[in-house]
Amino acid sequence: MLRVHNLKKTFGAKNIIADISFTVDHGQIAVFLGSSGVGKSTLLRILNNLESLDGGAITLDGKPLDISRVNQDHTVGMVFQQSNLFDHLTIEENITLALIHVMKKSEKEAKDITHSLLAKYGLLDQAQKYPAQLSGGQRQRVAIIRTLAMKPKVICFDEPTSALDPLLTNYVAQNLQELANEGYIILIATHDTAILDKLDAAIYLMQDGMIIETANSKEYAKNPRAYPLIHQFVLGEKNQN
Amino acid sequence: MINFTLFSTYSNEFIQGTLLTLKIASIGCLIGITGGILLALIQTNIKGPFSWLVAIYTTIIRGTPMLIQIMFVYFLLPELGLKLSDVWSAIIAIGLNSSAYVSQIIRSGINTVGTGQREAAYVLGLTHFQTIRFIILPQAIRAVLPALGNELITLIKDTSLASTIGVMELSKRAYFVQTRTFDVLGVYGIVAAIYLVITSVLSLLVYYLEQRMNRNVTRS
Repeated sequence: MLRVHNLKKTFGAKNIIADISFTVDHGQIAVFLGSSGVGKSTLLRILNNLESLDGGAITLDGKPLDISRVNQDHTVGMVFQQSNLFDHLTIEENITLALIHVMKKSEKEAKDITHSLLAKYGLLDQAQKYPAQLSGGQRQRVAIIRTLAMKPKVICFDEPTSALDPLLTNYVAQNLQELANEGYIILIATHDTAILDKLDAAIYLMQDGMIIETANSKEYAKNPRAYPLIHQFVLGEKNQN
Repeated sequence: MINFTLFSTYSNEFIQGTLLTLKIASIGCLIGITGGILLALIQTNIKGPFSWLVAIYTTIIRGTPMLIQIMFVYFLLPELGLKLSDVWSAIIAIGLNSSAYVSQIIRSGINTVGTGQREAAYVLGLTHFQTIRFIILPQAIRAVLPALGNELITLIKDTSLASTIGVMELSKRAYFVQTRTFDVLGVYGIVAAIYLVITSVLSLLVYYLEQRMNRNVTRS
């Protein structure tokens, strides 16, 4: 279980994350919902040691999580909004690079792991292509595979569907749900409300660096009016689209 | 027009001169690229005195003529107890000069690599050195390959300045042939053609590399 308690982050005088606490168990999905600048991406970046934290405590499976070591220990992984695949490397090399140089796998082992994951996601025939030769959805899946290959316990997704069409959004949502079903702790930062009814997730609506309302996605789908702030946000997003 | 009779009569002079020009250019180029990459990495990764020293170095090198730099290396280094042959003085001076220009080209290339690439590498657990080696430098070099090619072409032509300290490279040998034949246009026509062939081959090589490295950024 991932437990985040009283997390705080400031940039200058601005409280980006004022005070956030939540817990997510293995096999569960937490969606951090909110408009730009509410602190949801910063939260994921803190968990990946891309930003420092100014206060609070984080534990994973009952033990304090040393954020400064999450990357080397492969405890937490991150799939970025723009995929951030390495453009000059093939799909296979994108995945094997860290397996060989960080996890110290042999080239054969790294390729075996890569090929089995690519096959699982229907991308084995793309192994020798470069990221620019793939569609947005395929790149997103490669980014997921690259993270999965490192066997993290927690996987963070920053706006995983914002650049995708509705069909691909469904597909990615399905992938995310499957990952949760496999036991990963999944954290998603998004403003895309279209993904909510496709997941069995805890929804955390964020504003000004705080969680202002919480709901379960299934419960919310049954009775949106019971969660007025989330409902208002969803309606606002739909009107904008 | 190229005077082939003149060329065949003095072919040994032209060939020996060309070989030495190629030696100076290739070693100078190696020093220039290696030094340039190191200087660029210092400037983009280390803040403070080291970065300032690199800035001062590039300012001095880029702000003074290469001819004077060759003279300084040739006459100053022996004063400091480092005796070098005229050829090696020229190679060192040309290499150091090139490293200043290459460093600024590579630095601009490094700046074109998005922060997303560094962050992805960091999150995967790659070390800073691994990130530079596997992610940043290959992409930076790809981005600046045409500019790097131009710098190397300039370097090849600048090897003719080595003649000022008595290095018997192509243009120096051409000068001696010209003093014997008094055929200025004929001799320098041949020399120009040789430089043109060398720089054209290099241009083609850079173009080939550019195509090869860019095939992955073009959608199929």
